Amino acid sequence: MDYSSEVEQRFLSPSRAGEFEKGTPGLVSGEAADRTLNVWIRFQVQVLDGAIRTARFNVYGCPYTVAAADWAAEWLEGRPSAALEELAMFKRYKKLGVPVEKLGKLLLIEDAAAACWRGLESLERQKRS
Amino acid sequence: MVKKEIYLDYAATTPVDPAVIEVMTECLGSDGDSANPSSSHLPGRRAKARVEVARSQIAKRVGVPSETVWFTSGATESNNMALIGAMRANMHRGRHLITSVLEHKAVLDTAHALEAEGVEVTYVNHDPDGIVDPDQIAEAIRDDTVLVSIMHVNNETGVLQDIAAIGQRCHERGVLFHVDAAQSTGKIALKFEDWSVDLVSLTAHKTYGPMGIGAIYISKGVSLDPMIHGGEQEGGFRPGTLATHQIVGFGKAFELADPDSDGPLLSARRDRLWAGLNAIEGVSLNGHPAQRSPHVLNVTFPGVEGASLQLALANVAISAGSACNSDVPDPSHVLRGMGLSDVLAESTLRFSLGRFTTEAEIDYVVGRIQDEVPRLRTLASGAPAWTAS
Repeated sequence: MDYSSEVEQRFLSPSRAGEFEKGTPGLVSGEAADRTLNVWIRFQVQVLDGAIRTARFNVYGCPYTVAAADWAAEWLEGRPSAALEELAMFKRYKKLGVPVEKLGKLLLIEDAAAACWRGLESLERQKRS
Repeated sequence: MVKKEIYLDYAATTPVDPAVIEVMTECLGSDGDSANPSSSHLPGRRAKARVEVARSQIAKRVGVPSETVWFTSGATESNNMALIGAMRANMHRGRHLITSVLEHKAVLDTAHALEAEGVEVTYVNHDPDGIVDPDQIAEAIRDDTVLVSIMHVNNETGVLQDIAAIGQRCHERGVLFHVDAAQSTGKIALKFEDWSVDLVSLTAHKTYGPMGIGAIYISKGVSLDPMIHGGEQEGGFRPGTLATHQIVGFGKAFELADPDSDGPLLSARRDRLWAGLNAIEGVSLNGHPAQRSPHVLNVTFPGVEGASLQLALANVAISAGSACNSDVPDPSHVLRGMGLSDVLAESTLRFSLGRFTTEAEIDYVVGRIQDEVPRLRTLASGAPAWTAS
């Protein structure tokens, strides 16, 4: 398999890989998986004052999935929390150098981010009630 | 000192030995023995003589008469010739073929093609270690069975089948027996007369010879319908202009092969590799732990996605599944047939060692894997149980 230099670099040194300590304020998690695609991904984001302060991920998957998750976590940081719903991997996969046949794996990254968003909305509702 | 790139994919192909390159070069160019070996003039007869020397070198390596060795383009073609040729030539005897679910695709796909022609194929199973029971073969043999085809060394796991026992059961019932021995030569001493075998597929490029040339052993008296028509070369079994340079290289490679020396050396290197990998938590060896070829190790790394481990070891040439299947997204049929889940099959790597593999390379690869497996498992921290089962 020929990987782009960005995919290789992000796979070998993913800057946003890992997890937060329990009790980190503003922490929201979301995950998605597809056994048939051999992918599992979990995002953890720290949301403070409506903005994503920091994003981290764990992933089981191929190098494309790892690299895309790292890129997505980097993209999310500093954006309003609504960005969790707006993550669009189909706009990015070509620039990352991911073959179109792998796009299905990358869409799970969107699902994991969307799960974070739902988690965040649930927390907001609990606070209001 | 460890090279920048380490090659541990000898089961896919081997580098051509310098001595082989030298003799091949002698058969190229206007100053060499490059004439058509079928031509009756002096240059043609010289080329022909070199072909026959090569044939005898190959025959000697496997302990058969020269006149029973016929050149093909490789083991895939030889497998096709054996199955299709034997079934078509013996239709008067029956239309039943027996093989195993773990064979190379060159046999399985040919068997499927024969099924489309009305041949009935029985795919015998195996035990969890990938061993086919010779008695199970015997039980599958019917009055209309023409041929049994079983590979000697599995290309993915290295598991060795008891060819002698299977051959004996075939011959007791008057059934032809074909063996794919593509992975065997140079690692295991072969003597076909010990096998009760009628047809054997051989190839050069897994024994430090060139790609694109192989052979089929056809025991005297066995009939095969040819698949290719157009000349009298190779006794009519496989017409077509003989590639002198490739054949000469093939012969030289087999002459140089020294399984009595290489076998134990490869076993030692393989065992060193396994000792290092086995120190990693949760890894498992696929295939019988003892009944195996010296040069192949097939290991599953639960909780680590295979393509990721391969890229993490980018400077180490290894296979995820067989070389033929590396670009195919489906999990290995061999591993699936041995009971591995799709996930574990995709977490599996095949290491295959060769004449030029050093201890330093083994130790380097072990060290890298001992670093990368924990790293990738940490990356997948919190993953569901199915990622490791």
